[in-house]
Amino acid sequence: MSFLSIIAGKTSKYSSLRLMSVYPTQYVEPIVQKDKQNEQKTELSKLYHVPIKAAVNKSSDTVFHDDTKEKMINYITKKGNSALARTLLSKTFELIKRTQTEHMNLAKGEKNAINTNAETLLKQAVENCRPLLQVTAIKRGGVTYQVPVPITTRRSYFLAMKWLLDAAREKERKVSLPEKLAWEILDAAHGQGRVVKRKDDLHRQCESNRAYAHYRWS
Amino acid sequence: MALRVFGLNIVRSNRNLLKNAHKLSAPPSGYMAVAPFASEVTVQAAPAAVQKQKVSKAMRAYLKRANEHDEFMKTQHLEFQIGKRHLANMMGANAETFTQEDIDEAISYLFPSGLYDKKARPALKSPDVVFPARKAAEFDETGRPFHSMFYTGKPNFFQLLHDIVEETNKLADLEERLLRRGNKPDENQKLEMAGFQLLPKDQLELFLVESIADIEYSNFTKSMERLIASPYAYKSKSFIERFLKPLMDQSKQLEVPKPKIDEEGRQYITTYECLRKTARADVTVRFPGTGKISINGKDILYFEDENCKEQLLFPLQFSELLGKVDVEANVEGGGPSGQAGAIRWGIAMSLRSFVDQEMIESMRLAGLLTRDYRRRERKKFGQEGARRKYTWKKR
Repeated sequence: MSFLSIIAGKTSKYSSLRLMSVYPTQYVEPIVQKDKQNEQKTELSKLYHVPIKAAVNKSSDTVFHDDTKEKMINYITKKGNSALARTLLSKTFELIKRTQTEHMNLAKGEKNAINTNAETLLKQAVENCRPLLQVTAIKRGGVTYQVPVPITTRRSYFLAMKWLLDAAREKERKVSLPEKLAWEILDAAHGQGRVVKRKDDLHRQCESNRAYAHYRWS
Repeated sequence: MALRVFGLNIVRSNRNLLKNAHKLSAPPSGYMAVAPFASEVTVQAAPAAVQKQKVSKAMRAYLKRANEHDEFMKTQHLEFQIGKRHLANMMGANAETFTQEDIDEAISYLFPSGLYDKKARPALKSPDVVFPARKAAEFDETGRPFHSMFYTGKPNFFQLLHDIVEETNKLADLEERLLRRGNKPDENQKLEMAGFQLLPKDQLELFLVESIADIEYSNFTKSMERLIASPYAYKSKSFIERFLKPLMDQSKQLEVPKPKIDEEGRQYITTYECLRKTARADVTVRFPGTGKISINGKDILYFEDENCKEQLLFPLQFSELLGKVDVEANVEGGGPSGQAGAIRWGIAMSLRSFVDQEMIESMRLAGLLTRDYRRRERKKFGQEGARRKYTWKKR
């Protein structure tokens, strides 16, 4: 079933194998977007005989749907209140749009250079915050070393979004989450701000501990 | 047969062996597997060492066993015939033309059973079906095995592996020869494997009349895959096809219902029992329509959540019928998300009647036509929830 999982399983960059699933192993992930179905039309004939999992209740084929956005909503959610998380993120997007439009109107010349699309800004911010390495504590001979280890793509996305949210939640009580999150996203999208600094700090720490890298396997 | 030396008895039993082999090659109950190996074994039964007077111990034991089995089968056949005759008499039918279907019908009528498991209910079947075929003698009367791989314990299976490898080598040779000549494999004749799968283990076992281990089955699949991967695999199509089983088209498995006509002359389809989590819905889709949606008498604002509204529209938007059909739904139980999911499935299932086969397949690939069986996972004792453990610190 490996070739099928290549076609169908990797529809989202965040997807992974789920243990204890109600679906038997021969079921493959659905391809919800019609564009993606059209892209892989020739390979789809292999799926004629394969049962497909049901589309989850967050998926849809509209232009408003975005994987990064959905993931961000999941991370913002507290105690299952995803409706609130959704409104918070849409408020954030509204604020980003407002600030960027204001910037665009105030700018002299080159008005098109300013990105006012909040979704692409969020994606840009997440990409800018993604770490490549992290340090783990490994004990050797009674001494704990901070050993740099590479991380998976999935985890790097998780860390980027978590850091953005951590930064946004560290605020005064009077400031609302959407406001702070909008600032952080805008900062990170331009390669500045606390989150990008945090990533750079981590990279620097890995760099300074490179001498211990061999403890990962020895 | 030069088995005259041993008297009539042996000849008879050997004839029985042949008969057994025939039975193997045409199994009675519709198994697709044919057992050429098992019959081959007996066909070449003309023993080489005919003149030898001595019968080996193994052969003698085998003949005894075979005789016993034959006797047993004979009585079973007689009993079956008598039973069939009784049933036919009770049903007032002709015993000669009484078929297996008539037997099943008669039994379910005369001996009605409330037992749930069908296997536990009374039945009368031909002894050929009840007692599976056995392997015929694999050695001659001197105890010398016919098959060179007899001592592997699974001669048919290893012969099969051998055949596969031979076929693969043949194709490799062919490929090299044609490559040297500058020929290329014919793309049009390429083997289409998408709709087929290799014989599953139990069917392969029936085919071989031997039980095989999991690892042996995986050896079989691996060597078959190697054979199929060859660019000239179509040259040994007839060999490969013996071990293939066709798969059903997933989207054709569920029959699409024909739409009914209502008083206004519009087509409509009602899907009952749309289930998701603990919600249950009945969904009616009318075509042509204006995109009206009514859920328990309210419009789409029945759902406050943005996500739920989006879910409702998902199949409509996907099949490009948004605004062209009317949807009515009655839904009860569960929460908003479950209810929206139930209605979504109902709409998708109903829409199949108003779109073409290609769109149905596309909807299936999008996961709209699969019933979502996931339920809330239970809390476990000794744990805080379904998965989360209580905080615990040793010191």
